[in-house]
Amino acid sequence: MMNFQSCVDIKKEWDIVGARQLGRERAKAIGFGTVDQARIATAISELARNIYLYAGSGVICFETIDEIDRKGICIIAEDNGPGIHDISKVMEDGFSTSGGLGAGLPGVKRLMDQFDIVSDQEQGTKIRTVKWVPQRRF
Amino acid sequence: MNLDIKTTEIGASHYIVSLFGEIDAYTAPQLKDTLLSLIEKQGQLIEVDLQQVNYMDSTGLGVFISALKSTKENGGEVRLIHLQERVRRLFTITGLDSVITIDSTVRGGN
Amino acid sequence: MENYRYYLKRYIDTQDESALYQAEQLSKLYIQNKISPEEIINKHIQALKDLFPHLPKEIDLSMNFLLETMISYGLAYQEHQSMRKQQLSLRSEMELAANMQQTLLLTETPNIKGLDIGAVSVPAKQLNGDYYHFSTDKNGRFGVAIADVIGKGMPAALAMSMIKYSVDSFSDHHPKPSSLLEKLNRVVENNVEPGMFITMLYGLYNPITEKFMYATAGHEPGFFYDATKNEFTEIEGRGLVLGVSDDTTYQEYELALQDGDIIFLLTDGVTECRIGDRFIERQEVLEVIKHYMHLPAQTLVEKVYKHFERLQEFQLRDDFTLIMIRKQV
Repeated sequence: MMNFQSCVDIKKEWDIVGARQLGRERAKAIGFGTVDQARIATAISELARNIYLYAGSGVICFETIDEIDRKGICIIAEDNGPGIHDISKVMEDGFSTSGGLGAGLPGVKRLMDQFDIVSDQEQGTKIRTVKWVPQRRF
Repeated sequence: MNLDIKTTEIGASHYIVSLFGEIDAYTAPQLKDTLLSLIEKQGQLIEVDLQQVNYMDSTGLGVFISALKSTKENGGEVRLIHLQERVRRLFTITGLDSVITIDSTVRGGN
Repeated sequence: MENYRYYLKRYIDTQDESALYQAEQLSKLYIQNKISPEEIINKHIQALKDLFPHLPKEIDLSMNFLLETMISYGLAYQEHQSMRKQQLSLRSEMELAANMQQTLLLTETPNIKGLDIGAVSVPAKQLNGDYYHFSTDKNGRFGVAIADVIGKGMPAALAMSMIKYSVDSFSDHHPKPSSLLEKLNRVVENNVEPGMFITMLYGLYNPITEKFMYATAGHEPGFFYDATKNEFTEIEGRGLVLGVSDDTTYQEYELALQDGDIIFLLTDGVTECRIGDRFIERQEVLEVIKHYMHLPAQTLVEKVYKHFERLQEFQLRDDFTLIMIRKQV
């Protein structure tokens, strides 16, 4: 079952903070611990900064995923910017330090559990990433 | 190890590129970009002043060979001026002084 | 977790050095188990809360702040780890390439009646941009090639293979050194990017005439030792480097060898070797060679190499190749 979606427009640097905050609140409500909340907030930051710096404007949306055996948060970042030409290159370690569109995406992938990216020179970039609430082991 | 490049336009299609420092594998790409972008236009005369260059390795020679080949395509000319002894010797040994114009005044090097 | 809390408590109670030593051990354990910095901070927060349930709110909040600032450090650390893994795999790939190159370029020093020959060639990095090759033909002539590709590493090594195969196929027909270089020059000109070039000297010794014929394509001049005069001179010869102009012609030179005369061929890794900010002068190279003159050829070149290797603090800046051919009775 997919829960309702809420979105934050990213146009100004200040909007990054709004997106972080909304994402953190969502994560907390879903049941993530402090460390995971911080990781999710950082992932949102990276995605939002990418939009702000390189695409100009875009939107970050959150969905709660509530399945029978697991819960999680899904973050969708979408923009109509120039698109990422070589996604493999952007996802390489070491690229993030050089800046440019897509910088920091390997970090997002590490912070989250699932990561998918679709990019096109005309239609911009769409990134969908999910993190699951850790299952209790005992 | 640094190389400073100063480009002066002294006439129509005539430039002096003055170099300060060392030409090696690290600084050569920068020099190559400068020279090739000047040669790109038809019929340019480019004088490269090497008075302040006391070290150059084979990568540097490679840059001048690239420049030479590019002038052949674009009908320009590259001249080297004010070479220090050590740098001049490189052009002599490699026979490049027979294909690139080098002014004959030799500046004392260390 | 229990361990962390236990040693934290002990340290707070006693400020005992042994508790800090345990902290160091824990730190290593966490690295081994790939525990990120933010997780360690979290352990700390949890332990604090267990030990001191009535902690001031400010401390609590400040710990959250710290946790937040450690997230990017954790990421940087993970990225570093993954790049280290990549580096190791690149290194082993380079080792394979280097081994293959060594096999490819392997040349045996031949036994030529009347000659004492020695050679050493050491790459600065894993792959060698210098090349030398010995050959003999059924008329007993002895061919020697020495070449230096601009640059180092992989591109130089790839160009080297091209040279090797071309020389192999051309030297079958025993051409004159000048025409071998002319053919080779066209191959190089057609197959390398502008700006890349190769210097080379090719020589052919005829034991019947006792003459060494050679041609040079912009190669660093070697030394000739005249035994009767007991003096060294630079080996003369001019010619454009390979790969610049496809219609280049090369001049043929000749040295008549008397007993005791020596030909030294080298690459600029020998004469351009840098010690700190200072360059070795060619004169210094000669001094070192003179010092070992009484030794057999192979021992001599190895001694000279060891000398410069040590001077450069065992970190060669350029590929180093030295060949010696001594005429003996």
